[in-house]
Amino acid sequence: MSQMTGASSLVASLEAAGVDVMFGIPGGAILPAYDPIFTSSIRHILVRHEQGAGHAATGYAQVTGRVGVCIATSGPGATNLVTPLADAAMDSVPVVAITGQVPSVAIGTDAFQEADIRGITMPFAKHNYLVTNPADIPRAIAEAFHIASTGRPGPVLVDIAKDALQAMTDFKYPTSVNLKGYNPKLVPDNQAIVDAAALIAQSTKPVFYVGGGVIKANASRELLELAQLLGAPVVTTLMARGAFPDSHPLHLGMPGMHGTVAAVTALQKADLLITLGARFDDRVTGKLSTFAVNAKVIHADVDPAEIGKNRYADVAVLGDLKNTISALIPALKAALAKSQPDLTPWLRQMNSLKSTYPLGYDIPADGTLSPQYVIERIGKISGPDAIVAAGVGQHQMWASQFVSYENPRTWLNSGGLGTMGYAVPAAMGAKVGAPDTTVWAIDGDGCFQMTNQELTTCALNNIPIKVAIINNESLGMVRQWQTLFYEGRYSNTSLESKRIPNFPMLAESMGCVGLSCERPEDVDATIEKAMSINDQPVVVDFRVHRDAMVWPMVAAGASNDDIKIARETAPDWDSQEL
Amino acid sequence: MAQHTLEVLVENSPGVLARVAGLFSRRAYNIERLSVGPTANPEVSQMDIVVNLEGHALEQVIAQLDKLINVISIKEIVPNKATPAVHDTQPDYQN
Repeated sequence: MSQMTGASSLVASLEAAGVDVMFGIPGGAILPAYDPIFTSSIRHILVRHEQGAGHAATGYAQVTGRVGVCIATSGPGATNLVTPLADAAMDSVPVVAITGQVPSVAIGTDAFQEADIRGITMPFAKHNYLVTNPADIPRAIAEAFHIASTGRPGPVLVDIAKDALQAMTDFKYPTSVNLKGYNPKLVPDNQAIVDAAALIAQSTKPVFYVGGGVIKANASRELLELAQLLGAPVVTTLMARGAFPDSHPLHLGMPGMHGTVAAVTALQKADLLITLGARFDDRVTGKLSTFAVNAKVIHADVDPAEIGKNRYADVAVLGDLKNTISALIPALKAALAKSQPDLTPWLRQMNSLKSTYPLGYDIPADGTLSPQYVIERIGKISGPDAIVAAGVGQHQMWASQFVSYENPRTWLNSGGLGTMGYAVPAAMGAKVGAPDTTVWAIDGDGCFQMTNQELTTCALNNIPIKVAIINNESLGMVRQWQTLFYEGRYSNTSLESKRIPNFPMLAESMGCVGLSCERPEDVDATIEKAMSINDQPVVVDFRVHRDAMVWPMVAAGASNDDIKIARETAPDWDSQEL
Repeated sequence: MAQHTLEVLVENSPGVLARVAGLFSRRAYNIERLSVGPTANPEVSQMDIVVNLEGHALEQVIAQLDKLINVISIKEIVPNKATPAVHDTQPDYQN
């Protein structure tokens, strides 16, 4: 045990927790902590906006599986972290945020830069702390990392009063964490596994409904074995892209609002949903009362509150998915040895839908760039090891649809909260976590204008990400809804103002290489040029046509049975034997 | 609809009442009656929460409450029954 300031105790605690990098900005209340950071082994990356720090921590965590760390001062510094922390909560990302707070005697006095960030983050943070006694710092940090990274991962905030950082204290990092009210169940009950296996062995139309939990649990290999053992079709949600190889013959694609006809229909017509780390989100189920009405449900999750939240589970399997799937494999082998239903007709139907209704897009007749084509080529040229981080909107859906994901942790996006501006800082964090891997941010021109300041951070800190701006001079997804549901009244969705800003010039001003491309014949050469630059961030302004729409689509609140493959065009159900 | 009483043992830490009340508020559940008091252990408080919920909604409230780190255990006092149903997998905090 040694005497040091609370600030030194904080930094020593972060080092003891295994932190190798953090993203942040100093300010008055957190300033004492920045003095020991100056000489710490932890790499601190000085971002340009606290929101960038939060999303960078998220991107880092999603790529590495480790806890992402961000740090900010009190008041506005802390409130700027609110969006990324809410984002991390919705997508179950392990993030620890450290914030300075005004001195404890000033708390509650409306002091300069005072904001009750513990109260503000209470509704969505997995947990949070306000530390006013320096002796509590090591325990708070140890607990924060434990809570953030175990069970269902999530964001934890530790708010530390300035005087607690300045006072002298004894540093002793706890060797174990003991929380009376927190003990996530990681090993599933054997009976639940047996029940699940029995239900699967009776099903003639099963489908694996795979969510982001499979990636969080590092259970992709186990999933592949289980899926091949049963030979049932697999759908991967927006959060689960890469959890199962896109190229695998059993894979039907993404379900949901912009899912493939095969994936959406598989869920609708199944007699059993084998739900692994998914949460029956409204973007997947459509109108809940009409979702998969003939299906029984196996729901495997680490979060007990998800089971039965939106959809009744016939068999609930509570536990870590790696444990759950590992236990299901031998149990299913035993159950299938007794009775093995013939899945051939079901697979034939689904494969017929898959080949009849592949994802596709129109090439504009006027020779302008198709956004889907650009994204498809980025995926093809970069290969399956590259990491793609998307913003939110049309380009996000296309990046999910037209890039082939073969590996977990290669697809990052803001799925639950739908945070525009996520891509650039998340790609920055991803590149820090995986410096030898190509990292693309596929962003919209609307999203890009929310957080592009972090390109300066990238340029100055040797974080050579690549950014593809899918520039349709519009808030494209909102515009699509205006086209479909508001009679084409484009209220405030046009960003077009004579190419202002000039994105390549903006990129150059921030120390990046700026490129542009507006002809289909230049796409490959432009992407290859971007791929060849690895000592600087690259920004490519792909000027695409603005009327492209995301299809298929299930309108918000509609039944998945009403999926459209183009405007007012439903699949030809009569020709399908379903 | 029958009233149900939840006996919730919580860590006696700052903000714990706000965490519980906030959970009910943001998930749009009403609290009929709420009382908070000490237990024999100064580190633990007891909240008795009366709700007008049953079935699925009651199960969700209990599951969501149990996710709060400061919530140690939850017992549901079933109406007209002498013995409480224990919902939490964790042992009651007794020492």
